[in-house]
Amino acid sequence: MGKLVLEGISKRFGAVEVLKTVDLDVADGEFIVIVGPSGCGKSTLLRIIAGLSDQSTGKVLIGGQDVSSLPPSKRGIAMVFQSYALYPHLTVEGNLTLGLKQARTAASLIAERVAEAVRILALEPFLKRRPGELSGGQRQRVAIGRAIVRHPEVFLFDEPLSNLDAALRNQVRAEIADLHRRLGATMVYVTHDQVEAMTLADRIIVMNGGIVQQIGTPSDLYRRPANAFVATFIGSPGMNMVPGVAAGGVLTLAGSGRLPCTAAANGAVTAGIRPNGFEVLPAGSDGLAGTLIGSEYLGAESFLRVRLTDGTVVTVHEHPDHGWLIDQPVTLRLRPGNLHLFDAESGLRIAEGPDAAPQPVAARVA
Amino acid sequence: MTQTIARRFQISTLAAHLVLIGFTLLALAPTLLVVMNSFKPRKEIFGAPLALPSFETITLIGYDTVLKRGDILHYFQNSLIVTVCALFFIILFGAMAAFALSEYRFPGNRLIGLFLVMGIMVPIRLGTVGILKMMVSLGLANTLFALILVYTAQGLPMAVFVMSEFMRQVSDDLKNAARVDGLSEYTILFRLVLPVVRPAIATIAVFTMVPIWNDLWFPLVLAPGESTRTMTLGAQSFIGQFITDWNAVLAALTLAIVPMLILYLMFSRQLIRGITAGAVK
Amino acid sequence: MATSAQRKPIRWHIGVLLAPAILIYTVIMLLPVFDSLRLSLYGKGPDGEAVFVGLANYTTLLTDSYWQGPFWNALWNNTLFFIIHMLVQNPIGILLAALLSLGKLPGREFYRTALFLPTMLSFVIVGFVWKLILSPAWGVSKTLLGSVGLGSWFGPWLGQPDTALVTLALISVWQFIGLPMMLIYAAMIAIPDELLEAASCDGVTGITQFFKIKLPLIWPSIGVVSILTFVGNFNAFDLIYVSQGALAGPNFSTDILGTLLYRTFFGNQLQSGDPFMGATIAGAMFLIILGGVCVYLYGVQRRLAYYQM
Repeated sequence: MGKLVLEGISKRFGAVEVLKTVDLDVADGEFIVIVGPSGCGKSTLLRIIAGLSDQSTGKVLIGGQDVSSLPPSKRGIAMVFQSYALYPHLTVEGNLTLGLKQARTAASLIAERVAEAVRILALEPFLKRRPGELSGGQRQRVAIGRAIVRHPEVFLFDEPLSNLDAALRNQVRAEIADLHRRLGATMVYVTHDQVEAMTLADRIIVMNGGIVQQIGTPSDLYRRPANAFVATFIGSPGMNMVPGVAAGGVLTLAGSGRLPCTAAANGAVTAGIRPNGFEVLPAGSDGLAGTLIGSEYLGAESFLRVRLTDGTVVTVHEHPDHGWLIDQPVTLRLRPGNLHLFDAESGLRIAEGPDAAPQPVAARVA
Repeated sequence: MTQTIARRFQISTLAAHLVLIGFTLLALAPTLLVVMNSFKPRKEIFGAPLALPSFETITLIGYDTVLKRGDILHYFQNSLIVTVCALFFIILFGAMAAFALSEYRFPGNRLIGLFLVMGIMVPIRLGTVGILKMMVSLGLANTLFALILVYTAQGLPMAVFVMSEFMRQVSDDLKNAARVDGLSEYTILFRLVLPVVRPAIATIAVFTMVPIWNDLWFPLVLAPGESTRTMTLGAQSFIGQFITDWNAVLAALTLAIVPMLILYLMFSRQLIRGITAGAVK
Repeated sequence: MATSAQRKPIRWHIGVLLAPAILIYTVIMLLPVFDSLRLSLYGKGPDGEAVFVGLANYTTLLTDSYWQGPFWNALWNNTLFFIIHMLVQNPIGILLAALLSLGKLPGREFYRTALFLPTMLSFVIVGFVWKLILSPAWGVSKTLLGSVGLGSWFGPWLGQPDTALVTLALISVWQFIGLPMMLIYAAMIAIPDELLEAASCDGVTGITQFFKIKLPLIWPSIGVVSILTFVGNFNAFDLIYVSQGALAGPNFSTDILGTLLYRTFFGNQLQSGDPFMGATIAGAMFLIILGGVCVYLYGVQRRLAYYQM
């Protein structure tokens, strides 16, 4: 039994279902990231785990205990909020100790815990200051400190980096990763940023419209996305989605290119090919015909935009010093192992064939 | 269905409701008592004051007396004229001054601002002596115009204060685009900025309307004559006259309450929104 | 780019926009107030015209046997009036605001509207309604109190010198409780939800949350409410006038500075109007209010930190 278990959690507001049946098993010490676009239900899910919101159905179990009807302070959780939510009228020390004092913890234990948090997060210089006198990054550290002193079974993070500026974000992200390594604690982290998800998580839950799209390691999600949504959400720039038709083991893409594919595919499909899955060759070669319509130079690499014969525009990763010119006709060849096939209507991944990476993992889709 | 945590707090919510209901009753009871009893014959007023007027004995005799003896419509009209005109000037001149203060940088801007807003703390009644003398010497004693002037002066500081805050938040880009298009500053104020700060205007309107309508002091001092009597002053004299005629007294009170009550119910949402401006729950 | 010095066009519109407001405000509000205060420095000369007497009027007010009695009486009554408001109106206002700002409370809008209604009523209505309700002749109060077993408590409170002022103060509290309730309610709902959720995660809920988290954050608003109460109370007049008349009976027990001012300036059956002493009382009121506001701004306000949340 994992540290945090969600069984059949769903949530509806009146007639609107914001969360459809979520089941999750988080192991002790695991870093789980819930990621998805705005409104996908990730924050709602986190709040249900915390006990700040009630679920409509299902159970929450923490450390083997059913906490579904317990208030937040009794669940063994600690939460770090997006807006830090520090008590403005208390000093940093006051912020760290309020919860412990409320639980009538022994003074010596409080002192011990505070000293530990201060040490880990380098809060010593701020102890006597009020949140109003601290910068955003410092406040975020205090918020994390407030969570640490509770020695929770599960740490919950609600988009903690969203209010920080870009430069600070990278730094604090690294600090959170460090923290996880040092404490070895179970952490549930919510974000809309797939970069944070990919870099921090042991496993990722991708959500959209209240439905769990896929649960897996970053590598799983990148190499074997369970549906078109996950495929385009993970990875930057996103995966190219090219319409095509499959019949009898042959895939016709963009009306022109023909490729071998799995016999399991039949009818209208969407082919997913990441920008680095293409090779650019002069026109007339074997592959997909297209015209170069744009090029973005980034120093270490370039991204080309190519319009295929059926009008679809794809992004292609290229060497920074390529010699291609705008309006030049080119051919795109697919590198082996880079073809993902999805059903054109449902978006679901179609079973692998010879041209795809081996062994799909059963992914959870609503 | 899981047991919700909210259920745990139901006892304290119940207690909260009890307290609130208690105070609500206390707040509404006096008004209700008066209105109810104004429709009862004298015997029932004394005999069963807490009962609703029964269908058989419902009577309008008090209203009859009051409406015949007093010139209510006239008083109502006076109050209306004074309140509406004062409100108009307060908003007009207040908006103009607020715009000048919030929009342009000029030497003395801050001082003039403080000067105007300081008036919120100044109790205008202390100047009654001087105001009365001024009105008399201008020949404005016993005119509605005197009241309008006084209430305008009284309402301007708050109006300027609130409106300049709101106007500061109107996007500069909007105004500059208009200037580039050749619009005059006055047009910008009246056509662009005012519509945007409508919530502020609504707030001020509701806030200043009530004290003006209900004011007793200035009508008493500046315009006590019959022709310029306001509703509030009129109600006071009625009640003074009919002190032993319970039906008439209750009827007069009800008639005095009703216009305010209707206006309040119509605008209560605006009023409350105005007071709690900025934080909505 | 041309470098020749250009005369900046005179921005007439600024003047035009400011003029009406400044004119009306200065002429009708400020000048008369200062004129009144100036008048307090004058007395009646031998030929009946005004003669400069400096602060003599103020000394008279405070020490002269004819004036000092009523003045100190009015001042004391006014202070008592204020104290009752601070002790009753504000705590209850805070309580109601706290209840109204609780999470999900059905009927919140109804309660707000109903509780604010008395503030909308004119003093005339409030004064007379309560006079009627408390009148022993009608007996409504006696019946109501009787139904909760407190019938023997009832007395003609408004007619008795030792209870009249307190009764009127409570009536005034009844009328105005909506205002502190609203202002503090606004302050309470400005507290971010996430802050209160963090408190719940820390185990700080319910009444503890009110005293440890909410109250410290709304102190500035309570301060504002207090000073507004002060200014309002020391300016009060209408309720007493409507209920007890200009003589503020019974026996001047409900006489406050406002009624004293009215009576002194305009005269009544007992004395003829005295504009100079009237102005002096106005001056005294002005100084008292100014004093209170200054004490608040420099003494209290500084210590109330406005937290950015």
